[in-house]
Amino acid sequence: MVFGEETRSDLGAIKIYKSAIASLVSIAAAEVDGVKGVSRGAWIRFLELWGAKVNRIKVEIDRHSNVYVDLPLVIKYGYHAPDVANKVQENVRHAVEKATNLSVRDINISIRSIERP
Amino acid sequence: MRIFHMLAITFYAGVIILIGIGLIALSFNLLLPEHIMALNDYMLANQFNRWAVRLSGLLVIIISYSFAQLILGRMQREKTIAFTTASGEVTIALSAIEDLIKHSGYNIPEIRDLNSDVIANKKGIVVNMRVTLRSEANLPELTARLQEITRNKIQEVLGLEEAIIIKIHISKIVQREDKDRRRKDSVKEEPAIPFGGFGRV
Repeated sequence: MVFGEETRSDLGAIKIYKSAIASLVSIAAAEVDGVKGVSRGAWIRFLELWGAKVNRIKVEIDRHSNVYVDLPLVIKYGYHAPDVANKVQENVRHAVEKATNLSVRDINISIRSIERP
Repeated sequence: MRIFHMLAITFYAGVIILIGIGLIALSFNLLLPEHIMALNDYMLANQFNRWAVRLSGLLVIIISYSFAQLILGRMQREKTIAFTTASGEVTIALSAIEDLIKHSGYNIPEIRDLNSDVIANKKGIVVNMRVTLRSEANLPELTARLQEITRNKIQEVLGLEEAIIIKIHISKIVQREDKDRRRKDSVKEEPAIPFGGFGRV
């Protein structure tokens, strides 16, 4: 399956964008206990005020259909950060592989902030 | 975007060298105002030259923006603690550790305000804290407790094994009584208005 380009089947074309995978990653990350959400900088919050949809999650897919994800996170205060990061990596890997049949190579997490639950 | 970064670095190096050469030329009287005027006249001579100047200006703006992003990105990237897991890399922003310190510090009732600056270097993690305290606090006991709580919290939440050096600077000690008195003064009873209640049922 090629991403960002059309794949033809008997019934028609299938197209999955990186933004769709980014949404999937965002949902999978938010499911993990201890995650407050995906980090958004001041600039992105400003853009969102004007109605722009900006995704901070970076998804890359190489020629062999391996997925690489960069995920900036805000975690809740009181949780063990490496544990939360590990769980997020596992959950994201499972969710993406289940939904797209692609193999996820790297899930790079950057914890940008710690906030009260 | 990498090509823009390369262009940006080359461009800025070129511009700075040109400025240097220009200044040297000015000092030796090699570059005269007439030369600058002649260049200006050439740039405005026809529509083609004007468009070339406009597009160059646009390119300069894009390169500058790219350069700023490069510099800021590097600065942000440096301010993290990173470790690798089987699934990828995990980086923790030092500002996130500052948030953590702030939250754990506010659990101590004697602390009124707390700001911290975290630096990660070869020695380990250095935390510089600026604290505003309430007057009733016993300083040696409180600062020792704060250092202990902060160290434990950083180790517990981040799972770091590096040495943690915590420096505390008490910037202010606030009198709680004074504050309460001031608050009471600000909520003084309003003077009664003569015949204020007259006519009410």
